[in-house]
Amino acid sequence: MSKATIIPFGPQHPVLPEPLHLDLVVQDETVVDCIPQIGFVHRGLEKLVETRDYNQFIYIAERICGICAMGHSLGYAETVEELMGVEVPKRAEYLRVIWHELSRVHSHLLWLGLAADAFGFESMFMHCWRLRERVLDIFEKTTGGRVILSVVKVGGVVRDIDDAQMREICSVLEGIRGEYTTIMNTLLTDTSVKNRTVGVGYLSQADAVELSMVGPFARASNVAYDVRMFGRGAYGDLSDFKAITDNGGDCFARVKVRCLEVLQSIDIIEELAAKMPAGDIAVDVKGSPADGAQASNVLEQPRGECYYYARGNGTKNLERMRMRTPTSQNLAGMTVALKGCDLADVNMIILTIDPCISCTER
Amino acid sequence: MATFSQDFKDLAFEDIHASAAERQAAGWRYVQILAVNTENGVDLVYSYMLNGVLDNLVVRGVTAEQVVPSITDVYLEAFVCENEIHDLYGLNIAGIAIDFGGNFYQLAEKAPMTVISPAQLAAREKAKKVAAAKAAKEAAAQKAAEAPAAAPVIDEAAIQAKIAGLDPEKAAKVRAAMEAKMKKAAAEAAPAPAPAAPVIDEAAIEAKIAGLDPEKAAKVRAAMEAKMKKAAEAAANAEGEGE
Repeated sequence: MSKATIIPFGPQHPVLPEPLHLDLVVQDETVVDCIPQIGFVHRGLEKLVETRDYNQFIYIAERICGICAMGHSLGYAETVEELMGVEVPKRAEYLRVIWHELSRVHSHLLWLGLAADAFGFESMFMHCWRLRERVLDIFEKTTGGRVILSVVKVGGVVRDIDDAQMREICSVLEGIRGEYTTIMNTLLTDTSVKNRTVGVGYLSQADAVELSMVGPFARASNVAYDVRMFGRGAYGDLSDFKAITDNGGDCFARVKVRCLEVLQSIDIIEELAAKMPAGDIAVDVKGSPADGAQASNVLEQPRGECYYYARGNGTKNLERMRMRTPTSQNLAGMTVALKGCDLADVNMIILTIDPCISCTER
Repeated sequence: MATFSQDFKDLAFEDIHASAAERQAAGWRYVQILAVNTENGVDLVYSYMLNGVLDNLVVRGVTAEQVVPSITDVYLEAFVCENEIHDLYGLNIAGIAIDFGGNFYQLAEKAPMTVISPAQLAAREKAKKVAAAKAAKEAAAQKAAEAPAAAPVIDEAAIQAKIAGLDPEKAAKVRAAMEAKMKKAAAEAAPAPAPAAPVIDEAAIEAKIAGLDPEKAAKVRAAMEAKMKKAAEAAANAEGEGE
């Protein structure tokens, strides 16, 4: 066996548009160890909670990450509502979940396009992003924004979706479902895709549990954990919800889980659209969180469980706001999945984990 | 569907590692570690989850001189949070499995999350003032509630006895006369009016300066006393002119 060599990966890398650096310790083209490093885009956004009141900070929270924007504003709002004992109207809960699930669809389609591009399936990349554009069009019609939606506020939402718009959304989603199913079946049965992904970057169920993995990364190792299964908010009104899992534990399993989650999200949106209750979309929130009061919250972002924490100090400004993102939780698992792989498979493994470093560093 | 619940519990500093080991053995999933900068040091919050129960264990008042034991030998994935807390809060965490030695984040300032911004300082002072004013108000309300209630001026029973059997017109006249007489008697029996309130309202000053630093408190006290004296003098002059 040859002498170990360290090969740097990132933070600028053609296959990964995220500022992640890895020191890959390589022997004979095999990765024997991996040391991750982040810290290139830390912006200190949590500190800004001291200079913005709890209503203003929601616009900072959703700017933590472009892909997870809706999720961060929702997670933050839910945490402050928990802190202040605010009960959100049922219709607002439904609207929030519909926009959040649409975000999941667009995030997974974006990821699938990047993954396809990484293993040279460029036409797949174009088709996935073409479908994603339709989701962004729905955002634009219903919120005015395509990426940063600014539609959630503490106490509810700022915009309603009327029945005509809801029917149009369902119609667009049905169109996406048809085309997407064709794309997905092509991807999951393609020999070249299987050659690049099956058996690559394996992580066992035991490792996933031991490393407290979250999101599709964990579910692809047969860990049935999805925050949505707690049935909070509008998720509680779903006739059935089951986390999508696979026991493969490899890159192919991770691709498959995410592919199926797109269809699951479309199902959730259509079911909630049919059950949408009438009523207000927000309640007035007055006062300030009590001094020393604290609340935590978890939310299923497209990449997995995200944890939120808030502490009040008796004024409109929070004493502390914190979020622990899914990628932060999955970094340890990533190093384990990379150990023993071929150097040529590193980019495939990292892409199927789908790290979001902007969220992680905040 | 499983249900979700959350809880906050205090954890002793020396139990940090033992608690992590116990939770890991019992099948709890590590969720995160966070830090909160307070006036009494840094609070650390360790979160674990099992079957939808999210437990947040709060270690209060950790100082930069203390050595916090790492839990990465139990939960490897905690290395991200521990390195982050070391860099952003300047806490000394010993034994991190993947230790970046203070280079996890590229920072322009050391321990930036421990810097008290002017906005945060103002918020804290405001919170103290609000709490002090609220306490003073509650104390005043309690004092008022404890004071004995004054005897009623109008003796309704005596009036009723007097007007029983009279025709309504006469009854009304008798009632008016008796009420006027009773009010006059009550006014004469009442003690002499209390001397004028002291020129300096100490309670108001105390409520205002609660939570301020001594130097600022002294300035505020001097200004308020001067203002009150001036107001009292102005009132006395006005009375004199009126006479």
